[in-house]
Amino acid sequence: MTDDLQPIDSPTAEPIVINPAERASERRQFFRTALGAAAVTVAGATALTLGPRAFADTTSDVDNLNFALQLGYLEAQFYNIAAFGGTGLPAGQLTAGSAATGTNVAGQATGARQVTFTDPLVAQYAAEIAQDKAAHVAWLRTELNTVASAQPTIDLGTTATGAFSTAMRAAGVISGASATFDPYASDENFLLAAFLFADVGVSVLRGAIALITDAGHREIVEGAMITDAHHAAIIRTTLYVKGATNASLLTNAGKISDLRDALDGTGDDDQGISPTTGTNPVANVIPTYADGTIYARDGQHALNIAYLNSAQVTKGGFFPNGVNGTVVTSAAN
Amino acid sequence: MTDTPPTEQLIPALAESRAARRRFLIGASRTGLALGTVALLDACGGSNNGTATPTPTDTTTATPSPTATSVIIDQNALNFLINIEYLTAQFYAAATATPLAASLLTGTGTQGAVTGGRAVTFTDPLVAQYARELAADDLAHVGFLRSMLGAQVVAQPAINIDGGASGAFTTAMLGAGVIGSGTFDPYASDENFLLAAYFLSDVAVTAYKGAGLLFTNTLLLAAVAGIMGTEAYHAGLLRTTLYAKGATNATLRTNAGLISNYRDSLDGTTDLDQGITGTATASNIAPADANGFAFTRTAGQALNIFYLNHAAVVGGGFFPNGMNGVTITSAAS
Repeated sequence: MTDDLQPIDSPTAEPIVINPAERASERRQFFRTALGAAAVTVAGATALTLGPRAFADTTSDVDNLNFALQLGYLEAQFYNIAAFGGTGLPAGQLTAGSAATGTNVAGQATGARQVTFTDPLVAQYAAEIAQDKAAHVAWLRTELNTVASAQPTIDLGTTATGAFSTAMRAAGVISGASATFDPYASDENFLLAAFLFADVGVSVLRGAIALITDAGHREIVEGAMITDAHHAAIIRTTLYVKGATNASLLTNAGKISDLRDALDGTGDDDQGISPTTGTNPVANVIPTYADGTIYARDGQHALNIAYLNSAQVTKGGFFPNGVNGTVVTSAAN
Repeated sequence: MTDTPPTEQLIPALAESRAARRRFLIGASRTGLALGTVALLDACGGSNNGTATPTPTDTTTATPSPTATSVIIDQNALNFLINIEYLTAQFYAAATATPLAASLLTGTGTQGAVTGGRAVTFTDPLVAQYARELAADDLAHVGFLRSMLGAQVVAQPAINIDGGASGAFTTAMLGAGVIGSGTFDPYASDENFLLAAYFLSDVAVTAYKGAGLLFTNTLLLAAVAGIMGTEAYHAGLLRTTLYAKGATNATLRTNAGLISNYRDSLDGTTDLDQGITGTATASNIAPADANGFAFTRTAGQALNIFYLNHAAVVGGGFFPNGMNGVTITSAAS
């Protein structure tokens, strides 16, 4: 996809606006180094401030729904195993819609386990979200029918080289090459791991709404975005509340947000939850642009986060073998 | 809201916003915009506090519209939505003592006044922080919708957010059975504020979802989708907070259910509403159908609730003289 970079040099473009926050982006460069990403050109004087992204209009409804299904597998497996244990989605929910060809063969989601929740509210939230995510996968598979993409291989494990530990080390939530992050060890770790994904799904669905052509599909994508936004709000609100007495949760959510921002390009399209300072502090449960709209990402930039790589690659991170479908390559940031 | 310190947040926020508008313009020039050049320039020149004025220099080269009908449909949908934002922005502005500028309330139709509303003395500082975030977002929505509509924007209609015996909230909570007699004052406590906000918020989300199905212009749809997403986060924040406080104050969950049932009784026989109580082991923060998707309300159904009337009428409840614009009649439900 050509994304939104090219119009800036056109004669009609307004003078380039550089977001001051982007100029001193040592943190972002640090993240790229830490993740071992390919060399990334920091555009300097020609840096762009990116606005909302959306799927390129070259993608079809099938492409977009299949991409949503791929992210759906990841989230559904994480929440279902964390909430209920076992092996997650039933085997019949993982296969390609028709005879598998090429890489479109069901992979396994490995490394997750049930959380022993301390706070019953968090357990109840996890159960609710797990059920909704599983329902989304089921609906998408039914709708896509013979063209449904298979579940890719998913890394939900807790080893030092696993996706969660790699992400949290890059974010600065943990430190040291041998350090591990276990999302299933505590309520707090579960919430932070959930936070890593939650806003990404919402931002992708926001981007997709205007590009879906079928009216029925538009209503479904709107409905999915709204449900996922409720899920993200649960996670962000709960971290915010617990952060009032455990400030590291606010700090770590900010670090994870910065990581996502570093991975998906030069535009600032992510926010943590920390309140403003001053006499009348303001919460930041909702991640929005100044115009009050939530952030948007296209599929490529969501893959930068899922692959834990700011470069143009086809696999890595939570999807060690990449995703299935037509939207499989992350953006070159 | 942004996650940067107050003294620094404005500049990057405005840069983001400008970039977003620039993209809006670039995109529009590629595809042609149904609302035409004047509204487009408004969108580019408007600011988030809505104080910028349109630049009426380009009216001789108005962009051809696909069809006049589609333009009107989009305008009507945007104007329907801004009526809702006037209501919720005024409610949150009153509760947080941050009134809307008079320049944000003008437009076509009869401009009305706000009846009632006062600052809440919050007990839980987190609820106060949420309220200020909600107020800021909905203020931004008023500004953004006004910038999209330009000269076509409707004025704020008469709004009733009174906490007295004759106020709309009292009528609503009597109807729901939250109170058996007397008054319901949304400004009297954290809990009352949360229930009142919840009453309005879920309706706004479903109304946005319904309106989203009407848009013909994909750029406007993309912008509206971003506001829709924020409204869903708002609802998720409110529902999560009521649910969490409901763990030790069961009345909150009961009352949320009563309000949901009342909204459902107003908008017809289809079940389009859910409280927050789920099962013994799962919450119900996200109101969703069996497939995990949020509900849709038509404009007429949303108006049933705002007017507190299941019949086809043109005013009442929170809008004593009805909404401004052409989408003003509730459904015969």
